[in-house]
Amino acid sequence: MRCLLVVLSLLLAHIASAGSERCVDDDRNVKVCLDAPATRIIALSPGATELLYAAGAGGKLIAAVSFSDYPDEAKALPRVGSYNRFDLEAILSLKPDLLIGWHSGNPTEQLAQLEALGLKVYYSELRGFDGVSRTLRRFGELAGSEPAANAAAEHFDQGIAALRKQYQSAESVRVFQQIWVNPLMTVNDQHLISEATRLCGGINVFGNLPRLAARIDHEAVLAANPEAIIAGGMGEENRNWLDDWRSYSGLLAVQRDNLFFIPPSTLQRPTPRLLSGTRMLCQHLDTARGRR
Amino acid sequence: MAAASYHTPRLLPALAVLSLGALLAVALSVSTGSVAISTAELWAVLQGEGEPLHRTLIFDLRLPRSLAAFATGGLLAVAGALMQVLLRNPLADPYVLGLSGGAAVGALSAMLLGLGSAAVSGSAFIGAIVSAITVFGLAHGTGSWTPTRLLLTGVVIAAGWGAVVTFMLAIAPTESLPGMLFWLMGDLAYARSPWPALTTLLALSLLLLPLGRSLNAMARGPLQAAALGVAVKPMEWSIYIAASLLTALAVTTAGSIGFVGLVVPHMLRLILGNDQRLILPACALAGGALLTLADTLARTIIAPEQLPVGVITALLGVPTFLLLLYRSR
Amino acid sequence: MSEVLLQAAQLCIDVPGRSDGSELNFAIQRGEVWGVLGPNGAGKTTLLHTLAGLRKPRKGTVYLAGSAIQRLRRRQIAQQMAVVFQERSDSFPATVMESVMIGRHPFLSAWDMESAEDLEIARAALARMELSGMEQRLVSSLSGGEKQRLAIATAMTQQANIWLADEPGNHLDLHHQVAVMSMMREQAAQGNAVLLCLHDINLAARYCDQLLLLYPDGNACWGDASIMLQAPALEKLYRQPLTVLEDQGQRVFIPRTQRHTGNEN
Repeated sequence: MRCLLVVLSLLLAHIASAGSERCVDDDRNVKVCLDAPATRIIALSPGATELLYAAGAGGKLIAAVSFSDYPDEAKALPRVGSYNRFDLEAILSLKPDLLIGWHSGNPTEQLAQLEALGLKVYYSELRGFDGVSRTLRRFGELAGSEPAANAAAEHFDQGIAALRKQYQSAESVRVFQQIWVNPLMTVNDQHLISEATRLCGGINVFGNLPRLAARIDHEAVLAANPEAIIAGGMGEENRNWLDDWRSYSGLLAVQRDNLFFIPPSTLQRPTPRLLSGTRMLCQHLDTARGRR
Repeated sequence: MAAASYHTPRLLPALAVLSLGALLAVALSVSTGSVAISTAELWAVLQGEGEPLHRTLIFDLRLPRSLAAFATGGLLAVAGALMQVLLRNPLADPYVLGLSGGAAVGALSAMLLGLGSAAVSGSAFIGAIVSAITVFGLAHGTGSWTPTRLLLTGVVIAAGWGAVVTFMLAIAPTESLPGMLFWLMGDLAYARSPWPALTTLLALSLLLLPLGRSLNAMARGPLQAAALGVAVKPMEWSIYIAASLLTALAVTTAGSIGFVGLVVPHMLRLILGNDQRLILPACALAGGALLTLADTLARTIIAPEQLPVGVITALLGVPTFLLLLYRSR
Repeated sequence: MSEVLLQAAQLCIDVPGRSDGSELNFAIQRGEVWGVLGPNGAGKTTLLHTLAGLRKPRKGTVYLAGSAIQRLRRRQIAQQMAVVFQERSDSFPATVMESVMIGRHPFLSAWDMESAEDLEIARAALARMELSGMEQRLVSSLSGGEKQRLAIATAMTQQANIWLADEPGNHLDLHHQVAVMSMMREQAAQGNAVLLCLHDINLAARYCDQLLLLYPDGNACWGDASIMLQAPALEKLYRQPLTVLEDQGQRVFIPRTQRHTGNEN
């Protein structure tokens, strides 16, 4: 009897694999295998939602978490909680065939529980420009939208490569990247923003800090005296962080009026929009060079 | 007449030493930072010369911040001393009646709405005052007002605010979280202008000074105080309003910084006794000096990165307090 | 110089759970020591607080040297009246000297520091209560009896002409009980008025001119000590059989043991 069960299950497994099984490595280097392209995907971070749409898999998305606001279609998706606390029952009741988890952002226990319940979870943890195109391709493979995904990845890679080529021998500009105002925060060289800065020929004046995102004081900025200040903002349009700097007339960046704003969602998130953010950053640094 | 008083031998030297300490703390705070400024350069700046960068650092950044730290510490310590007398409970601190919770809800709401820092300060102040009025109104209730009832009401209201704060943190977008958490931990980077806090500290300290002896009588309980000629109810109202105002202003200036309001009055009582005429001005000076020192350390230990000042106040204050307690009679 | 310093007029004290009781109408003159006797819960402390203006009476008025007490400011009252409470709170540390000096509070303006004269008054009061040399001790380190004497010394520094004391003999050994009671007599001899809540009938018999008996049901009677100190009245008051002895013209009351007398009446 027991023998028969084993044989049966082996047989079933064989039949399944004979379909169109697809496997990709996730960002933990664990294989995620699906028997068929996913058709019911839930993205557990706003970034994953955006990447799935870019990979042509937006139609397969059935739910997302709060603050998944890009592209506009994403706003209409049902919500299953926030990235840091989601509703397991809601997720189960939607019967997804693939979850895109965020390795460092989602609660580990909840992801593990979902896996234990038999759901497929792809752990995503993007680092750098390569991460964006690699993830696009993988999402395409998982969702069966390879043509759109590969095109998007190609477009992104080419755009970045063109920028890299254009600015590879540009004169360097010392930049302060402000990501928050209260408390005043910046990032070190490990951050995506710094990768973009380097690509455009900029040097992050706080690149050597030990922490990825660090809280600093105004005095440190005055001491570093950057040639340009690039600020994200509270919201996409709010530029008043930059005005606060104007009272420090001793700053080179203020004297030359090199105070630039880049919408945070285009430079601080590892998504295809990073290309436009990086392009904007490169142009700003070029402007700064022109004001020497 | 004062020359013959039995207090004079302690009062004047104690205040002189504390004033000197406070002055040194501010001086240290102004002369240290992530940019090294030598004594000679500092002197030049103070004389109106020196590099423009140094002038900006000293006059625009360090001095306002260290004055704000001083004022906040002083406000908290005086408020704590008052609350302890009012409630006749040595465990009382400025936040025991839920003022910091109310302020936190106010500040976090403003942050959630994406308002600027002036609005954050304003709504923190409003939150603190709303909390003070709520607690006092509820504790009054239909029956009589007792310290226990006030304390219980305050603790429960504070727990309520705590839940609202947790709720707000749970629904807040990721980008707002660092700002909110730093506000909750207390941080002098928020201090915009030190003057409201500083002038209030000075004004209220002067106003409270003549009430010192009545406060001494209050510390013995309301019956004893009344028998000694203190108009107890008006006195309790005044203390409550003064302490609430001091705390609200401190919270508005720098978020809720713990520990100073609880421990500084006790430290001083262990050294100087419990004469409020001495303790209240001493609290203003010592609380101010402690927070100035703590803030200086917080922004220099791992410069240019910053530590939350609450960590340092606790690290400085806990051992000092325990040592004093251990060695006391 | 028979002058009324403290007067109760149609006074009903407000004891929770008691709706009736006799009206009190008495006047304490200069030079008199009054004793209030009554079992636990009869309202001795409530009466004392009411007379001090610290508690609203159910009806009636207390007059302090002719003025209705609720019309006076606390400071005016404190300049004339000293109160020794039965219970004290020591939430905060204080030295004996700091503690006794607070008695000068009613006489100092807000900006005054205590003068040498105040210090002298405080020292004298401490000396009278045999607490000299303890000036710098913390109150919390004193024994119960020492704390009681400190409370009385504090009241002495008020130099009041009306004394209200709730069980001033509490925690005191015999020697100090006698010392405190003689001090109260001295106060009366100086022309002040004294009212003491007492639980020791014999102290009352020895030191009081007038007695007020307060019954648990709210009834009260008062009058000359020699008239009030009758065994039957006191036995009814305390529901306790007493033996009366005479010693040098002084009556002494001793509780009789219950062993042989099953009947309390």
